[in-house]
Amino acid sequence: MEYEFPEELKYLQTHEWIRIEDNIATVGITDYAQHQLGDIVYVELPEIGTTLKKGVNVAEIESVKAAGELMMPLSGKIIEVNTGIVDNPESVNSSPYGTGWMVKIEINNNSEIDELLSLEAYKEIVEAEKK
Amino acid sequence: MDAKDTLIFEKGNKNAQTNFIPKLDIDCEKLEDFIPKNLIRDEIRIPDIPEVEIVRHYVKLSKINYGVDSGLYPLGSCTMKYNPKINEFIARLAEFSQIHPLQEENEGALQLIHNISDMLGEITGMDGFTLQPAAGAHGELVGLLIMKKYFETKGVIKTKILVPDSAHGTNPASAKMAGFSIIELQSNKSGEVPLDHLEFAMKQGDVAGIMLTNPNTLGVFDRQIKEITKIVHKYGGLCYYDGANLNPMLGTCRPKDMGFDIVHLNLHKTFSTPHGGGGPGSGPVGVINELIQFLPIPCISSTDKGVICNYDNIQSIGRIKAFWGNFGVILRAYIYILSIGAEGLRRVGQIAVLNANYLRTKLQKKYNLPYNRICQHEFVLSDKDMPNEINTEDIAKRILDYGYYAPTIYFPLIVNGALMIEPTETESKNSLDNFIEIMDKIYYEALNKPEKLKKAPLNTPIGRLDAVNAARNPILHD
Amino acid sequence: MDFVPHDDKTITEMLKVIGVNKIEDLFIDIPKDLFINGLNLPEGLSEPDVLKKLKELGKKNTIYTNSFLGAGCYFHYIPSLVDFVISRSEFYTSYTPYQAEASQGYLQAIYEYQSVISRLTQMDVANASMYDGSTALAEAAIMASIITRKNQVIIIEGVHPEYIDVVKTYCWGQDIALKIVSVDKLEDKLSEEIAAVLFQSPNFFGDIEDVSALAKTIKIQAPNCLIIQSMTDPTCLGILKPPGETDVDIFVAEGQSFGINPSFGGPGLGIFAVKDKFLRKIPGRLVGKTKEINGEREGFLLTLQAREQHIRREKASSNICTNQALCSLSALIYIVSLGRTGLREIATQNFQKAQYVKNKLREIPGYEILNTKPTYNEFIVKCPDIDSLIQECKSLDLLPPLPLSKYYSDMRDIALVCVTESNSRDSIEKFIKASELASNKQKEGRA
Repeated sequence: MEYEFPEELKYLQTHEWIRIEDNIATVGITDYAQHQLGDIVYVELPEIGTTLKKGVNVAEIESVKAAGELMMPLSGKIIEVNTGIVDNPESVNSSPYGTGWMVKIEINNNSEIDELLSLEAYKEIVEAEKK
Repeated sequence: MDAKDTLIFEKGNKNAQTNFIPKLDIDCEKLEDFIPKNLIRDEIRIPDIPEVEIVRHYVKLSKINYGVDSGLYPLGSCTMKYNPKINEFIARLAEFSQIHPLQEENEGALQLIHNISDMLGEITGMDGFTLQPAAGAHGELVGLLIMKKYFETKGVIKTKILVPDSAHGTNPASAKMAGFSIIELQSNKSGEVPLDHLEFAMKQGDVAGIMLTNPNTLGVFDRQIKEITKIVHKYGGLCYYDGANLNPMLGTCRPKDMGFDIVHLNLHKTFSTPHGGGGPGSGPVGVINELIQFLPIPCISSTDKGVICNYDNIQSIGRIKAFWGNFGVILRAYIYILSIGAEGLRRVGQIAVLNANYLRTKLQKKYNLPYNRICQHEFVLSDKDMPNEINTEDIAKRILDYGYYAPTIYFPLIVNGALMIEPTETESKNSLDNFIEIMDKIYYEALNKPEKLKKAPLNTPIGRLDAVNAARNPILHD
Repeated sequence: MDFVPHDDKTITEMLKVIGVNKIEDLFIDIPKDLFINGLNLPEGLSEPDVLKKLKELGKKNTIYTNSFLGAGCYFHYIPSLVDFVISRSEFYTSYTPYQAEASQGYLQAIYEYQSVISRLTQMDVANASMYDGSTALAEAAIMASIITRKNQVIIIEGVHPEYIDVVKTYCWGQDIALKIVSVDKLEDKLSEEIAAVLFQSPNFFGDIEDVSALAKTIKIQAPNCLIIQSMTDPTCLGILKPPGETDVDIFVAEGQSFGINPSFGGPGLGIFAVKDKFLRKIPGRLVGKTKEINGEREGFLLTLQAREQHIRREKASSNICTNQALCSLSALIYIVSLGRTGLREIATQNFQKAQYVKNKLREIPGYEILNTKPTYNEFIVKCPDIDSLIQECKSLDLLPPLPLSKYYSDMRDIALVCVTESNSRDSIEKFIKASELASNKQKEGRA
């Protein structure tokens, strides 16, 4: 099974992807994660304006047979959420890096960016899990 | 058959009469003189339905449903044994069904609860019981709250509970409801709890105890159970026994002797009370002497003056349900134990294990058996190496086509594509052989006609349903 | 009698297939020192002997001809159809309907149950059941705490005392602080920190609250807190305004009045219904309607299972698994047997008969009805001599009303009287007679 992992993104070992533009981070779940979960049926997104620390649970993702959590990859304030996936949760499966994005964070601690995983490091984690 | 045409609401009739109300034989007041108009409702959107239509409707629905009385129900971890009919008869007698929980003249009921407590104590070795919890999960919550209270009274803070990765989902969920968080222990290659990991976890100091079922959800007896409970006790923890899998142990060995401090039982599994399609059940909790003081109120005990109830126990965790527990269910379990007796209980356990091993021996010839050892009351197959990419769901749905209920699927989580089979002791050899024949047929089909499995079920009132759409766009009532 | 269908020959055959010599060989994994030498319990009994023994035990329970006792468990007439349906073994011997294709019968019945509860309460979504009213209320409080992320809950006095105790225990498990307040002190205690306000209507003392007004008040003071209504006898919904037409967020009730025998207080039925916006957070099982994947037929299945313990495990908000399915089936049959006409008639009779007894009691010296709000089928009355009243009732084969001192030691001489449609005029006359006799006795006592 070949999964898609865009090169320009950063990753977390809990299967989030992060796109950083200036001080805004866009976050979603990877192709591997959406495949593991199966058809997504519901996503519960946080309230805009909430400030959360890195590592806490920011969104709940449900499929028919599983439930997962989106973890904050970086500390910051939620400035936008993708309400499109509430009405069309299937876009998380079909376009996890595009229309299936979940939250946008205004980063408040730049030093945390270094702790994110590169594509290669994340790929290793996925390989290990597949075994 | 289309669901929309056949809901009960479609069978209403403006002229339908209702026959279940006594004649009003007193002087009446005007409702509106006493209850303000804004508190009175306008219409009720429930039709009047002729009696014949109601009867036909539910008889029809019963015919497209499957119970233990219909045939083998090999659901692992559920112990779908025969439900004796004498239990149903006695439970309906007025002297049990028409008794109010708060009436004073209740000695028969309290005596019954006390008697069964003693019996369950003898069966499990535990010193005191509460019959209050309404289900196994409810019993788990009670047991964990007892743990919480135990440590509170000692002035010690413990925030973690250990569960094996093979645990039933209610275990971690109950721990959370009692305010604990979970540390999951990875089972070893034999499906048992590794002692070194256990000791390491306990050494961290924050562990209140462990929740285990033994035999576990793989159907195997953890041979090092005594060492496990010893280690937990060494570090000041308590051991909780999930009694869902007690059936094979009846009359052969007891959780108290294994080292457990708290036990819950499932009367609707081990003790023959009907599953009812998902309840009502009953989840009594037994404890060792030291923990009796924490049992929920009211506590029933026997004296020479008769049965008495204690509501004032200040160390109790408190009340966990109104009234006395699911008395109607407790009653049925009591009758079962009386009917079976000591020797019968042992035989139940032995034959449960015999039947499971018989099935295991035959089925492992074709299907993958990840833990290839003598099992207890149940065993787990997997879809590994199935031909033509047939998976567990396909197998389960094809079993439905042959008129059987499918085993438990995709549990325990530690086996990929798990198929968990528990026949129970009330299945005849004939019944087991028929099931084996079906499973052999299905394997043959997997090899030569896989599309039959992929498209299954084909012979049931409805085919595979779109669960994704059901969850994305829930329609939960008419 | 162990219901094992094998003879010795069969057992020997099966052991051979397995490859062992005797049954004991199958217990090889059990350490030798754990084996017990049999159980110290009597031998099994035959059916007639078991029946005899249970009847002897049953004789020690008194079956009253008529009851004036309610307080959370009620005597209503149960239509013959209820037992007929729940006795069909395809229903009662079945398991939770995980395999939808082989369980359409029960799944449809649960869907219909969810529908009738929704229609009767006018709430948007009802689940397939909780254990009983008391635990349903406790789980509602926890649900509110999770949704609001607040850990303080208020209970208004008048909730059944045993329910309050259960909520206390559950809240302690989750470190949720619980405050019990009287309704007139409520506004002072409301704040942004409150997760939920719990109240019962009609309450334990019989009072019917103006739920709309109460809910509005709470919403103004604490707009984010959840409003939870509890009810112990939902037959009142035959005449009273349903919670769905007010700002109530979560409605819970004890459904025993809907076709379930008292049975010494259990099994009961936890009715649990919420407004739409809380759908994804509701505990317990839910049955949904959907189409076939490869066809056009509609069917039913368990849905939104990702909320439940078998998927969420330690992240689940509730651990409930086995619930009260057969009891929900009883409730469904009860409700459809009566229909709108019957439900309204039953509720009306409950109200009328209780009102009649109230009026008659007012005419007896020494009795004082204490309710200042309208009541349904229960009310509280100050008695001249409550012990005599209880004695007189028993001698006339009437189950006496509840002395409130059972729960409130400072409420001596106050009885909680319950009158339902099942109380004949004859039994009511007897109750009035008992009340008069008790009043006379007290007078004699004073003389």
